[in-house]
Amino acid sequence: MKRITSLGLPLLAALACMAGSVLAADAAGADAPPDTRALDEEIQAIKKDVVDLNRDLFILEEELLFPANTQVAVFLSMDVGDFFALDTVELRVDDKQVAKHLYTPREAEALLKGGVQRLYLGNLRVGEHELVALFTGKGPQGQDYSRGAQVRFEKSVGAKYLELKISDRQSRRQPEFVIRDWE
Amino acid sequence: MLWLAAGLVVAAASGAAASSHRLTGQSAPDFALKATSGTNFRLSEYRGEVVLLTFWGSRCGQCPAQLSAVSRLVDTYGAAGLAALAVNVDDDQLAAAEFAVAHPVSFPVLLDPDKAVAKAYRVDNLPMLLLIDRAGIVRHVHRDHRSGDDKAWLARIRQLLDE
Repeated sequence: MKRITSLGLPLLAALACMAGSVLAADAAGADAPPDTRALDEEIQAIKKDVVDLNRDLFILEEELLFPANTQVAVFLSMDVGDFFALDTVELRVDDKQVAKHLYTPREAEALLKGGVQRLYLGNLRVGEHELVALFTGKGPQGQDYSRGAQVRFEKSVGAKYLELKISDRQSRRQPEFVIRDWE
Repeated sequence: MLWLAAGLVVAAASGAAASSHRLTGQSAPDFALKATSGTNFRLSEYRGEVVLLTFWGSRCGQCPAQLSAVSRLVDTYGAAGLAALAVNVDDDQLAAAEFAVAHPVSFPVLLDPDKAVAKAYRVDNLPMLLLIDRAGIVRHVHRDHRSGDDKAWLARIRQLLDE
């Protein structure tokens, strides 16, 4: 609560500042030309405060909803992609679907350029869990291609990060699907 | 399908062309769907453009006329930043694909087999057209389609394109 109050202060201050300057401009009368540059700067400052506030609230929300001791995040990355064109990834944790993502050409391109997508963020209790990822897309000859990858992992106290990595296996001319644990 | 049927009855009773809708003024729910062409499309990738989002079914009598009208508008105003997406809500996806082939349009025709997108948009009438502004806000909702409706949309589309 303290933090929320402190986050709201810059915005309130900025709003008060803007209101003050508008009143001051009114008081100066119609003879003096309005100082639009100063007003514009104040508006920009308020906009920046709102963006900062939004970012801080987002972080705060994540900290509250996904505390570190139960947090599990799954990321997806792609390397090369000559033998696999990604269409869909379905994620199951302990036999329950937790995420399904349909990839547009733009999203797949972003992954091929080195982007890493956070596919899932959730909470799991401490103990052993199973993660299954089902990948569908087009295979090496442009045919429909579906593969799965599975891993059992231990969730301990502290956040858990797992990465689904799709890469080309040049020797077999096939895609490779690996689940990596970020220790 | 019950929710859709119930919605259709309510909409018919209350005058289908009414434009009030719970999503008006709200952010358009994002979605990704596969098109009849096989390519995937995501609504949020159209941020910065004005989007005509239409829900249709192959058994809907007015839908072909609306799709044609939307296609004409996109052909004319596409360069100015107007885009369109048509979401099909048929149970029979094959029939939907065949319908799309028989009625070609200049924008993606998307398939919503589990009706998740139609539910998110609370589709209670077919056809239903939503005008989404460049910031991704639903600005207008039109239910049903009558000849000349596209002229009524035009003023609103131009206004959104000018924003």
